[in-house]
Amino acid sequence: MPSRRRTLLKVIILGDSGVGKTSLMNQYVNKKFSNQYKATIGADFLTKEVQFEDRLFTLQIWDTAGQERFQSLGVAFYRGADCCVLVYDVNSMKSFDNLNNWREEFLIQASPSDPENFPFVVLGNKIDVDGGNSRVVSEKKARAWCASKGNIPYFETSAKEGINVEEAFQCIAKNALKTGEEEEIYLPDTIDVGTSSQPRSTGCEC
Amino acid sequence: MQETELYDLSDDADYAASQQQQGSASMMRSDSSKRSSSSEPEGAEVVYTKDNVTIHPTQFASERISGRLKLIKQGSSLFMTWFPYKGQSSSARLSEKDMNLYTIRAVPFTEVRSIRRHTPALGWQYIIVVLSSGLAFPPLYFYNGGVREFLATIKQHVFLMRSAEDANVFLVNDLQNPLQRTLSSLELPRAVVAGLPSAPQSLVESPSQEHLKAVGEFHGESSSTFQYGGRQRQKGHDPTRDISIQVLEKFSLVTKFARETSQLFRETHSNGYGSFERKRNSQSAIDYTQKEADPAKKVPNQSFVPSDPLEKKPNIEHNHDEETSALVETFELIDCKEFDKLSLVWGKPRQPPLGSEEWATFLDSEGRVVDAKALRKRIFYGGVEHKLRREVWSFLLGYNTYESTDAEREYQRSVKKKEYEMIKHQWQSISPEQAKRFTKFRERKGLIEKDVVRTDRSLPFYDGDDNPHVNLLHDILLTYSFYNFDLGYCQGMSDLLSPILFVMEDESESFWCFVALMERLGPNFNRDQSGMHSQLFAISKLVELLDLPLHNYFKQNDCLNYFFCFRWILIQFKREFEYEMIMRLWEVLWTHYLSEHLHLYVCVAILKRHRSKIMGEQMDFDTLLKFINELSGHIDLDAILRDAEALCICAGENGAACIPPGTPPSLPVDNGSLYPQPDEVL
Ligand SMILES: Nc1nc2c(ncn2[C@@H]2O[C@H](COP(=O)(O)OP(=O)(O)OP(=O)(O)O)[C@@H](O)[C@H]2O)c(=O)[nH]1
Ligand SMILES: [Mg+2]
Repeated sequence: MPSRRRTLLKVIILGDSGVGKTSLMNQYVNKKFSNQYKATIGADFLTKEVQFEDRLFTLQIWDTAGQERFQSLGVAFYRGADCCVLVYDVNSMKSFDNLNNWREEFLIQASPSDPENFPFVVLGNKIDVDGGNSRVVSEKKARAWCASKGNIPYFETSAKEGINVEEAFQCIAKNALKTGEEEEIYLPDTIDVGTSSQPRSTGCEC
Repeated sequence: MQETELYDLSDDADYAASQQQQGSASMMRSDSSKRSSSSEPEGAEVVYTKDNVTIHPTQFASERISGRLKLIKQGSSLFMTWFPYKGQSSSARLSEKDMNLYTIRAVPFTEVRSIRRHTPALGWQYIIVVLSSGLAFPPLYFYNGGVREFLATIKQHVFLMRSAEDANVFLVNDLQNPLQRTLSSLELPRAVVAGLPSAPQSLVESPSQEHLKAVGEFHGESSSTFQYGGRQRQKGHDPTRDISIQVLEKFSLVTKFARETSQLFRETHSNGYGSFERKRNSQSAIDYTQKEADPAKKVPNQSFVPSDPLEKKPNIEHNHDEETSALVETFELIDCKEFDKLSLVWGKPRQPPLGSEEWATFLDSEGRVVDAKALRKRIFYGGVEHKLRREVWSFLLGYNTYESTDAEREYQRSVKKKEYEMIKHQWQSISPEQAKRFTKFRERKGLIEKDVVRTDRSLPFYDGDDNPHVNLLHDILLTYSFYNFDLGYCQGMSDLLSPILFVMEDESESFWCFVALMERLGPNFNRDQSGMHSQLFAISKLVELLDLPLHNYFKQNDCLNYFFCFRWILIQFKREFEYEMIMRLWEVLWTHYLSEHLHLYVCVAILKRHRSKIMGEQMDFDTLLKFINELSGHIDLDAILRDAEALCICAGENGAACIPPGTPPSLPVDNGSLYPQPDEVL
């Protein structure tokens, strides 16, 4: 593997349409919020340099469309992910209920080498809305679900106000790095490369 | 086929099941005799054969293509083939080429990702085979049953696993290393794209090389590169042969075309393009690395002049708009070799948009459009002035017929308005109590609410809080989701509606124009994504036809799923152009003047325009997707339309044959009145 493996961390953001995936990504990368973002069609990504212990990494953050009908596209984008961010809207029960589907869908389509330990991070977004009065998913409930799925780190965010966004992505990057590092160590030690290394995103092997 | 019609009656499960048993029994009998005379290659064993496995390119019963499905084992590899029966086509609409399009020539199971089985209670069982690239073959209907046997046979030879998620999905070779797959599918070494010496050799050296080079040139690489491609092709087994033959066919087609229309294209030469531009762009990937260099150092035109004394270059003084893509070389080659006087084939210069005075000349005294074809042609080449759009779009979209009079349209307007209000009332009358128990309604409404506030809000027409036009978008979309409840609402629809409302300004008229548009584009939003798949598939075929090196590059880099064109197709480039430009593009596309599928040629044209950058920078899938997304707002519409026109003409029938029948925006066949078939609901 070229050195790219070590410096590029791929993160996928998933969640129902309208929960604020695009807004979160832009708040983190560009430090701004606009209510003129368009609904995402297809997929796109932004990159950001992050530093850990004097090593530089490129965080590649993938933003995909939330509507169910487009999920079959996922396979092209999920492969090679180092971390998956699941987003719901604290003001929408359905978006929370769907987290499980998103998680499973991701595991199937991305088929990571170690699904049990693949890092997810959950974000409950839009905590600013109506001063929290229209909230329908309690923090407790969300944390309980995260705990039940192998202690998934959980953050409550507002892409609009920039609350907790930086912290959440720090954690996301750290987790992504863990997967990356493990694979890096794991790879040379094993003979059967074909089964242990998950495909990176398309194309970078050749 | 007689048989096909017969089986159309099998609309209940018991009937189908009994047919299945009979079918497979008789099949086995006939198999044994066939197997001995089999034309399979040495060492290959047919392990499964099934007749009457059929593709339904359209909903249209007479356009089904039946064929034979086989599993073939060679060494340790298993292949799947499906060949349509020869001469079965009873329909004038299905040419031999259409049928060949679907032929599955020995697909190795290493390239198959999954097989989805559908065993509906009504109608036939079918399977959908999805390749690792993300492409899928159209559904294969087993008229004689046998899906289980098919899967069982596969299971004996390759690793087949039932998906934990969906019992009808079977994953193939789930552990397959994609690197291997990529390597094994390489046909041309990287050198082809990485760049060879950039001094092109003379085009014609020896007759034996001629064809190969013609092929190469046709696909727009420099001749030196293509000689390389040519040598490759001379080697024994040759998967590219088919395409070469296709290209040669096209070659003759185009020369013929060029002869007939040279006059047309000569017009383009008075346009004053810069000759330097032509030079700059006449090269392929190789050029890219030199891009920063002094333009004067570019390979001069002369290097393309063939040594053959017959070959004059009448076009060198004709200049071109920006990057003319290697297409030009193609034609020069043809011109030079075949006829010394022919002009370049190039898209006509764009015209100013159709204005009021000219528009009046298309109408008779009662307001009928006298010559619809001429009108469509006129709009194809120039679009329409904005103030006329409101009137003209309703014709282009098919909401008003060209034959209608002013009075008839006036009348229809009022009738349709009532009809709209009625459908709208259906959801307006849902009380909050009722809505509480109507999840689907709430979900749809919620989705639409979320999307309309994210649709073109930077335009004055839609900006600001409580904008009434945003509310209209909402009402029209929700009404549409009741009008077409099966399709419902899908993201992207608000993008398609926005310019229509902007132009029509009237709620009911906008709704009906949107309905007309969705008649054609609805399949883009199908739940199974079949409409999108068939278009992405067609693009891949067109690129293969019109730019083989680029095709090979995508193949090598696992980009053949063309997902980077997804947004382009789903919403007809809506996100790629400024508002005024998108209205222009749409009205041009809606003329269906040269092709119903000009938008696919637009895709190819955009890709071709950036081919040297794509290949020169060795873009992988991610980089390419990003690059394509970022082209948004930077595409020169007029230039691209000319490219697309030229590509469409140049591809001719072979281009049309790349596009599966029924691919959006082709109108679905009217299955209600014309061809009542009991199974059309399938
Ligand atoms: N009040 C508030 N609104 C938000 C926040 N995040 C996003 N929004 C709004 O919610 C809507 C949806 O946000 P997007 O970021 O486009 O949602 P998405 O998840 O990317 O949606 P899809 O692209 O359709 O999958 C937009 O109107 C945003 O302005 C937030 O933290 N607070
Ligand atoms: Mg989004």
